[in-house]
Amino acid sequence: MLFNSIEFFIFLPIVFAIYWLIGNNRIKQQNLLIAIASYVFYGWWDWRFLFLILFSSVVDYTIGLKLKSEDKPSKRKALLWVSICVNLGFLGFFKYYNFFVDSLVDSFTFFGSELSISTLNIILPVGISFYTFQTLSYTIDVYNKKLEPTKDFLAFMAFVSFFPQLVAGPIERATNLLPQFHVKREFVYKNAVDGLRQALWGLFKKVVIADNCATYANMIFNNQEDYSGSTLLMGAFFFAFQIYGDFSGYSDIAIGISRLFGFNLKRNFAFPYFSRDIAEFWRRWHISLSTWFRDYLYIPLGGSRGGTKMKVRNTFIIFIVSGFWHGANWTFVVWGALNAIYFLPLLLLNKNRVNTNLVAEGKYLPTIREVFQMATTFFITLIAWIFFRADNVTNAFVYIKDMFTTSLFTTPEILPFTILGLVAFFTFIEWLGRSGEYAIEKVDFMKRPVRWCFYFLLVVLIFSFTGEQQEFIYFQF
Amino acid sequence: MKKFIKNCILFFLLLLIVGEFVVRFTHAVSDIPRRTIDNTGIQKYFTNQTGYWKGGDHKWKINELGWPGDLPSSFDKLITIIGDSYIENFMNPNECHQGPLLKKRMSDYNFMEAGRSGVSFIEAMEISKHLDTLQPVQTLIYVNDNDFYESITEIKKMRDITQLNLEKDQIIYGEMKSPGLKKVLYNWKLLYYFYNRYPINFSKEKKENEIKEPEFDKTLKFKNEILELFKYIRINYKTSNKTLIFHPKTNDYFIKLAKEHGFKTIVLDSSKDNKSWTFDYDSHWTCYGHEQVANQVTIGLNEYLKGKGQ
Repeated sequence: MLFNSIEFFIFLPIVFAIYWLIGNNRIKQQNLLIAIASYVFYGWWDWRFLFLILFSSVVDYTIGLKLKSEDKPSKRKALLWVSICVNLGFLGFFKYYNFFVDSLVDSFTFFGSELSISTLNIILPVGISFYTFQTLSYTIDVYNKKLEPTKDFLAFMAFVSFFPQLVAGPIERATNLLPQFHVKREFVYKNAVDGLRQALWGLFKKVVIADNCATYANMIFNNQEDYSGSTLLMGAFFFAFQIYGDFSGYSDIAIGISRLFGFNLKRNFAFPYFSRDIAEFWRRWHISLSTWFRDYLYIPLGGSRGGTKMKVRNTFIIFIVSGFWHGANWTFVVWGALNAIYFLPLLLLNKNRVNTNLVAEGKYLPTIREVFQMATTFFITLIAWIFFRADNVTNAFVYIKDMFTTSLFTTPEILPFTILGLVAFFTFIEWLGRSGEYAIEKVDFMKRPVRWCFYFLLVVLIFSFTGEQQEFIYFQF
Repeated sequence: MKKFIKNCILFFLLLLIVGEFVVRFTHAVSDIPRRTIDNTGIQKYFTNQTGYWKGGDHKWKINELGWPGDLPSSFDKLITIIGDSYIENFMNPNECHQGPLLKKRMSDYNFMEAGRSGVSFIEAMEISKHLDTLQPVQTLIYVNDNDFYESITEIKKMRDITQLNLEKDQIIYGEMKSPGLKKVLYNWKLLYYFYNRYPINFSKEKKENEIKEPEFDKTLKFKNEILELFKYIRINYKTSNKTLIFHPKTNDYFIKLAKEHGFKTIVLDSSKDNKSWTFDYDSHWTCYGHEQVANQVTIGLNEYLKGKGQ
C-alpha cells in the first residue's frame, strides 16, 4: 500500500480510530492491532512477503531470548551469527543473488572462459533492506547487552513490522522503538497535530516535488544521447530533487503518522542540501542508515581510532557497503566510492567535523562563503547522483562526459518553469524552516487563519500537481 | 482527542469550500451542460447555456434549439451537420467547429450543427428527421464504425443511447443515465474534479485476470444485423439528401452499404497527413484536424451539390 494512494487514505483513519477506541490502557490489544494493520499494509503488495517478515521476527525474537539465557561467549557469538546469517542470507538471496551470478559469469567471460549459471526469477520483497537492518540491530544490541530482550512476541512483531516505517525507514533502533511498544501511549493533541503537519509536508515533497521532477529526470536520463550538456545538467538537478523529495518525503510521512499513534521515530533527514561540506551532508542525509553503519560497521572495524591507513580503509568500506545496500548494481558501488573520495580529504585533514552547527544560524541569509560552500557541496553530490540514477556505469560516465561540453553553456532544451518555480518555493520554505525538525514545524507562530491558509495551499498544490502515481524510490532498496 | 477530531472535521469542511473555489476559479474541470429529452425522444441540451471548457481557454454555448454552437443567420440554403462528440466539439473553440469552418469555405450556404456526445447512427437519423422540417438542402452525418454497432440492441443493449430493436422493428429511445447524480456531480465541481482525476475502477483486478477474447471482425459477425439496420433506415427515412461523412479507417463494408442504400458518402483520409488530427490525450480532432476534415468535406460536398458526385 502506498502512502500516496486512495487505499491508504481509507486505511489510516480506520486504523487510527480503532487504535484509540481500544484505549491506551490495553497495550497488548493496541500492539495486536498495529501488527495486524502492518501485515495488511505489507501484504497489500504481495501476501507471500508476509512469511518472510514473520520468519525473520520469529528467528530474532528467539535468538534474543536465547542470548539472554546464554552466558558462554562462544555460544552467544554463534547465536549472533545465526541471526546475521539468516537476515543477511535473505537479503543476499532476494536482492543480490542474480547480481552475483551475473558478475561471476561476466568475469569468467572477461578471462576467456565460459560459465553457465542461470539467474532466477526472484521478486524483491519491498523494503527488505530496511526491516532486515532493524531486526539485526535488535540482535546485535542484545548481544552487546545494550538492550534487554523482549519476552513479548506481539510487541516484537509490531516493532519489526510497524507499518509507517516498514518499507522505507527510518531504520529504527530497537533501543529507541521497541520500548515504546511496552509502555502506555498517550494521545497528545499537540503531537498529533504536529504529526499531521509533518505528514502533509512529506506528501507535498513526494507528490509535488519528487513525482514532477521524476517526469523530467526520467525523460532526460532515458534519452541522454539526445540532449545538450545544459539539459543533462538539468536532468541531474531534477533527479537530485526527485530523490530528496521522494525519500525525505516518505520519512516525514512515516514520522508524522507514527506520532498520530503516540510513537516517536528518529529523524532521518536534516536539510542535507544546505550542507557546507560532504561530511555535513552525510550527517544530514539518511541519518538512520548512516548511524547504523557507523555503530554496527565503522566502529567495530576500528573507526578512526587507528592510523591513517585504517581510517581510509574503514571510510571506503562503509561508503561502498552503503552504496551496495542501495541496490545490486555496480552504479551504487561507484556512487558509494565516489562519496568516499569526496569525504577523504576532510577526514585526512581532520576537517570532517568543522560544520556541525546550522548554516547561517539565526540569520535569514547565508554569507557569500556559505553560499559557495553549499553550492559546491550540492554540485559534487549532483555528480554522484548521476551514478546512482544511471542504468549502468558506462552510461553514467557518458552522461558526465556529454554534460561537460560546450553545450553546457547553451539554453537547456527542457526548461519547465512551473516545476522550477515549485522547486524554488520548496527550497525557500526549507531554508526558512531549517532550524526545525522538518521545514514547516515552526508555523505555529502564525495565527490560525494564516496557518490554515498555508495548509490549504499545500493541499491545493498536492492535488493540482499530482502526476502519475509513482512508487517511492527507496522501496526497491 | 475531541478537539483533534473537531478540528480535523472543521479543516476538512473548509478545505471542501476552498477546493470548490479553486476548481471553479481555475476551471480545473469542464462545465458540463445539462441535458433534457424533448417530446420526440431526442436528447439535447437545455437552451442558452454557456460554460468553460477545462482550463478556461474558451467557452462553449448552447443555442436556442438546444445544440452546441451558433445558429446560422438564415435557414436558406441550409446544410445541417449531425454527429456525436466530434461535432459537439466542446474541446475546441467555436471557430474550429465544422459549421463555421464549412461556412468559410462555402459561403453561399448556411450551416447548422446538431451534435451531442453518444449519438448513434440511428439517433442521428432520428435527429435528421426532425431537422428536415427546416428543409435543408443537404444533411451531413459524421459517423464511425461504433455508431453502427451502437444503433442495434441485438448487438449491445445500451440504455442511454437511442437504438433500433430489429426483432420488434422499433426505435428504443435513450434514457437519461442517473440524472440526479449527474446534476450533483456537475454542480459540485470539486467532486467532479476528483471523479475525473481518480476514477473508481472496481473491475480493475477482474480485467487484469480476464482471458482476452480472440479478436474478431465485428462486421463479419454482425453482417446481417447491420444490413437490417440499413434496410430499416431506407424504409423509414429519407436518405437521398443525406451525406455520410465517414471517419478515417471506417470499415469499407459500411461505406458500401451506405452507397447501396441511397446515401451519398465522403470518406475522410488522414493517412497522407504527417501531422496528427487528434489530441495527444484523446481521440477527438484538434482545431487542425477539424480544418482538414472541413477541407475534405468541402471538396466532396461541392461535387455532390454540382451534381457530379456519386
